[in-house]
Amino acid sequence: MNFDDELRAALQREPAPADFAARVLGKTTKTRALPLWRRPAALAIAAALALTALVPSAVYQYRQHRRAIEARDQLILALSIARVQLQQVRERIQHNTRHKI
Amino acid sequence: MAVDFAGIVADNQSMVFSIAVRFLRDREGAEELAQDVFLQLYQKLREIESPAHATGWLRRAICHRCIDEARKRKLRPRIGLDAVPEPLAESRNPDLLLNERLRRMVEELPESARMVVLLRYQEDLDPGDIAEMLNMPVSTVKSQLHRSLAVLRGRLEKQEICR
Repeated sequence: MNFDDELRAALQREPAPADFAARVLGKTTKTRALPLWRRPAALAIAAALALTALVPSAVYQYRQHRRAIEARDQLILALSIARVQLQQVRERIQHNTRHKI
Repeated sequence: MAVDFAGIVADNQSMVFSIAVRFLRDREGAEELAQDVFLQLYQKLREIESPAHATGWLRRAICHRCIDEARKRKLRPRIGLDAVPEPLAESRNPDLLLNERLRRMVEELPESARMVVLLRYQEDLDPGDIAEMLNMPVSTVKSQLHRSLAVLRGRLEKQEICR
């Protein structure tokens, strides 16, 4: 027998442990028997649906918040303009009163 | 074409387990890895066209998983009882003793060379098929085979002289 044949003889496939196939098949059955709500794909879909439901409400709330801030800024601007104008009127009145006296 | 998973396991368990156990030198780890590879195939069963396709897929998968596992173990060494060689009993059949010595010497080859030798002599694959499976040039496979055979012959002769 040459060396190649000796190696082939030495490296013949070894049988797998007796219960190997049963254990593999048992694991596949467990995978199949998982309830729907515990399967990774189902969990991913549920998470996606929850996100889809939450996103529009979050966007709506954010827009409302922005609008409130804009309204507040406009009010502050209007009040400051009014304050300046009132100040000018008061100064004019004071000036006229001083002239008459 | 629908394939029968139980049939695939029955037909290929010995091939997958043998590659793993001879490469990793650890029966427990090899069994775990072999089971994992079959479960991986189970999840891809729809893509499998025929029993031959399944065999090729499993062979490639176990080779690459073994190489990855060996790399991981270099980072986290794991020594099982199987890593410690059993003492050879003098009274046993000389052919069996030779086979055992050869297997042990193959297990001591560097990882890449060990996988090439296993695929060549256990799986009877051509250097071209081995090269494709391990993503390496055919010339590398041939040179690794050549060097491995020289090393194995040398070690065997040395052992014969010492006995």
